[in-house]
Amino acid sequence: MTVTEAQPISALLDPGTVQSIADEVWPSLVGDGEAFVPVPVPPSAELVSAWVDIIGPWTGSVVLTCAPATAEALTESVLMTRPPTVVDDEDVADALGELANVLGGNIKSVLPGESRLGLPQIGSAPSRGRLDDVCALVGQWRGNYLTITVQGAAPAPHAERNEVPQL
Amino acid sequence: MRALVIDDSRAMRRIVGTILTGFGYEVREAGDGRQALDVLQEGSAEGWVPDLCCIDWNMPVMDGLQFVMATRANPAFRQVTLMMVTTESETSQIVKALAAGAHEYLIKPFTADALRDKLALLGLLPEEVSA
Repeated sequence: MTVTEAQPISALLDPGTVQSIADEVWPSLVGDGEAFVPVPVPPSAELVSAWVDIIGPWTGSVVLTCAPATAEALTESVLMTRPPTVVDDEDVADALGELANVLGGNIKSVLPGESRLGLPQIGSAPSRGRLDDVCALVGQWRGNYLTITVQGAAPAPHAERNEVPQL
Repeated sequence: MRALVIDDSRAMRRIVGTILTGFGYEVREAGDGRQALDVLQEGSAEGWVPDLCCIDWNMPVMDGLQFVMATRANPAFRQVTLMMVTTESETSQIVKALAAGAHEYLIKPFTADALRDKLALLGLLPEEVSA
């Protein structure tokens, strides 16, 4: 049996396409006049990520990463909350997850073949796969560090144990 | 006018709900297809049947497509207009949803104007809003 290696995301997607998707998502979801600006600023020490998995001819994740304070500010903007209303962890997981979901769904639609989208997850970003299987857009929102990373899935640990032994 | 907004994201339920409320809709919410069927059944018992359901596709427990099929199979809800509001934008997905019984399809991200245009197409925009 011949195993053909899937094309890396760098051959399927360019940062310009991710930016154009972000350009549509930000005003619609984050608010009028809001934008993801592709000008990098230094990252903060603590980061949080929200992501959705894409499963198909290309398998991996669309990951949104920022500082917890930025995630909170994004949530306030998405939910249109005004002081003294405060957002809680559940609100942040929900809003950041939906941002990742909408980004992921639109990125899935430009990939070849039929794929499936997973449900949003939040936490520490999933491990990356091959070094060339990454399309990262580093930028900022309201001057705060934010990245959108489309990355291939890391190989399953101990994958060799799943192989059927040849008798 | 009455609407049921079905999405596992509270943020998205709030966004869609706020727009619809602005158009004069009375809005109820559900976090997945199963919950939405419960809202329909409970609402029906008290005489509350929505004119419109806005339905996300990817949700836990029961997804949007399963909800569309379940609703279409129930004669009590034959008059309810079903609109998918989802990130699933491939033609094959749109065809699948329409074949299952959805009437309209709105792709996320969307603007309030895009939702308004869809409602106008469906004849579900209150006169005072469309004027």
